[in-house]
Amino acid sequence: MADSDPDRRKFLQIATCAIGGGVGLVVAVPALQLISDPAGKQTITSPSAPFDLGPAERFRVGEPPRKIEIVAPVIQDAWTAARDVVLGAAWIRRVGPGANEIDARSATCPHLGCAVGWDAARGNYLCPCHDSRFAASGDKLTGPSERGLDALPVQIVEGRLKLTWERYRTGQSTKERL
Amino acid sequence: MVNPVTWLRERTALTATAPGTIEGGASVAYVFGTVLVFLLLVQGITGAALAAFYSPSSTDAWASVAYVQDQAALGWFVRGLHHHGGSAIVVIAGIHLVQTAIAGAYKKPRELVWWLGILLLVVVLAWAVTGMILRWDQEGYWSNRVEVGIAAGTPIIGDQIQKLALGGNDYGNLTLTRFYALHVIVLPVIVTLLTIGHIVLARRHGTTPMRKRAAVRRWPHQSLRDVIAIAIVFAILIAFVVSSGGASLAAPADSTQPYDARPLWYFRWLFELRELAGSAEQLVAMLAPAVVGGFLVALPLLDRGSDRAVRSRALWLGGLVGILGVIAGLTLMSFVRDGNSPELAERIAKAETRAHRARTLAKTYGVPATGGADIWSMAPMWRARTLYAQRCASCHDEASKDRKGPILAPGHKNRAWITAFLQEPSGDRFWGRTKLAKTEAAMKPVELKRPELDDVVELIYAEGGAADVDPAKRARGVTLFESACSDCHSLAEGVSGSGPNLAGTGTRAHYTSFMSNPKSGVHMGADNSEMPRFDEELTVVERDAIAEYLVWLRTATKADLDALGPL
Repeated sequence: MADSDPDRRKFLQIATCAIGGGVGLVVAVPALQLISDPAGKQTITSPSAPFDLGPAERFRVGEPPRKIEIVAPVIQDAWTAARDVVLGAAWIRRVGPGANEIDARSATCPHLGCAVGWDAARGNYLCPCHDSRFAASGDKLTGPSERGLDALPVQIVEGRLKLTWERYRTGQSTKERL
Repeated sequence: MVNPVTWLRERTALTATAPGTIEGGASVAYVFGTVLVFLLLVQGITGAALAAFYSPSSTDAWASVAYVQDQAALGWFVRGLHHHGGSAIVVIAGIHLVQTAIAGAYKKPRELVWWLGILLLVVVLAWAVTGMILRWDQEGYWSNRVEVGIAAGTPIIGDQIQKLALGGNDYGNLTLTRFYALHVIVLPVIVTLLTIGHIVLARRHGTTPMRKRAAVRRWPHQSLRDVIAIAIVFAILIAFVVSSGGASLAAPADSTQPYDARPLWYFRWLFELRELAGSAEQLVAMLAPAVVGGFLVALPLLDRGSDRAVRSRALWLGGLVGILGVIAGLTLMSFVRDGNSPELAERIAKAETRAHRARTLAKTYGVPATGGADIWSMAPMWRARTLYAQRCASCHDEASKDRKGPILAPGHKNRAWITAFLQEPSGDRFWGRTKLAKTEAAMKPVELKRPELDDVVELIYAEGGAADVDPAKRARGVTLFESACSDCHSLAEGVSGSGPNLAGTGTRAHYTSFMSNPKSGVHMGADNSEMPRFDEELTVVERDAIAEYLVWLRTATKADLDALGPL
């Protein structure tokens, strides 16, 4: 019986494992490569140009911050080209009478990315997920967030408010653009 | 130090089981079952990877498949493995079945193993059908329509089957979600359970020894043969995938676009049989699979007794070979019939062009959120060109038999065009075919000679807003215009004259204004134009889109126009 020769048995075992392993690799590598493909890609693309948020004068001194949705005229989401897609929201507030004295804060909590709301009763921002509070100025008050609300770049061009939409890494004390 | 293998054996109690042995020795004849298990695993792995990209909705399905096929790294390869791997399963299952039949391994006490195998084959074929519709391209959509149509012809319950399969009264989101559920959850579970049952029973009975040789242990003697067979089959599969560029993907499903739907190759014999059956096609479609399946199921009941010699079973094996021969013959006939049809070849070539174009658009611009069928609208100026083809081309296109107006073609209102126009306004490509050309009111050829003519051309060309205007020429043109043209034409906005106002001629706004009302005083005037006004027929957005296209046409060439592709 062929089984009786241990050297031959060993050889057959090693050959079987080697061929099987090789075949397995040829199946697994392309599958893993495919699955990890989106990780290295900008799969959702939106315009990088500043968004027009209308006349700057509609924001007045002393008013509470106003939530403005950032709507991209067109985005590409993997295979879809979609129009008028809401990317997120910003809290806009006029801080002084000067034309450029407008402050914009991302509504994304710097702690873990929940949407931050305005608590009109207390006059500050509240993140509902973990009770981080931020002053009207955006500064951190209480709660687990390690930094204040992220300021978004704004400029006034011919009386119109232009906002550049950016995202920042959450869960750290420094503001880092994604 | 604990040996991990020993540790695991103890914890799983696997040591209690005696290592499998094969009566009559290891054999190449036994590899096919293991190869099938391997191929099923490949389907599972590639299927999981594809499912990570697939979106089962009528708006996204084609787009997500096109994304995998044309944009994701190695997506075409994984999808090709999945698609052609299904074919490999059918081929190897067929060999497995024939080999088992020749060996007489369906005989008592192994009938259940045989029947489970037949059931597995049927389920696997159904599995392939549920996969084809998921791509939501012309091929998958139309072949599914035919398949569901056949099922709908079932007496009494046909209508219910159809509604259940489609998830309602027509193809849509619910069709995809339920075929997806069948394909990735229900059928894999059923196939897994059937496969386990098939293997467990087969192992309990052991192989049917074909020779009188000593028993050997399965590991590694049979295992090596298995794994070599796996490597060979897999190498052939990969070669097939690479040489064919993976699985096909036609243009997005479109219920208004005819398509030469053909079933998967292993159903071609049924397709051919239906063709041959004529009016009896429905009956044949139901009966033929029942006859083949019935024969296979009945085989262990018909061929009884313990004699496994091939010669003494010639009748039953002959029956099997006969059935397979007919299936092979019909399959061949179907492919030959298609191969001999030049009309079909032409339609297939057209469909392939459409598919290529749709996929190029998807890759370049993305698929609109309204769905794959709207992919054509992503082509540059598609809307304007469609409107132009519908509303403008019959009077303005060079190829139109009934052309009544000036030709609008690449280079329209560029310098050469303006020069030629000024020299012969009633030339055939300009006003020659209009009512105006035959009247006294028709514009006379401009008598200026070069370089003066060029100066006037530059002035009119400049009105179109071009960036490459020569200011000196243009300035001279103003003076010349005053003496030679201003009796009839004005360059001041809104001023009417006996000839068209030329302010901004060639700009988007001017084109929009002109097509809105050509009979306006600032344009042709009430009596000099037969062109209808379009300010009510077309919306402002539509007119503006056409105008944008015409502005683009000014600097375009014929090659640029062709590059936009067909509509």
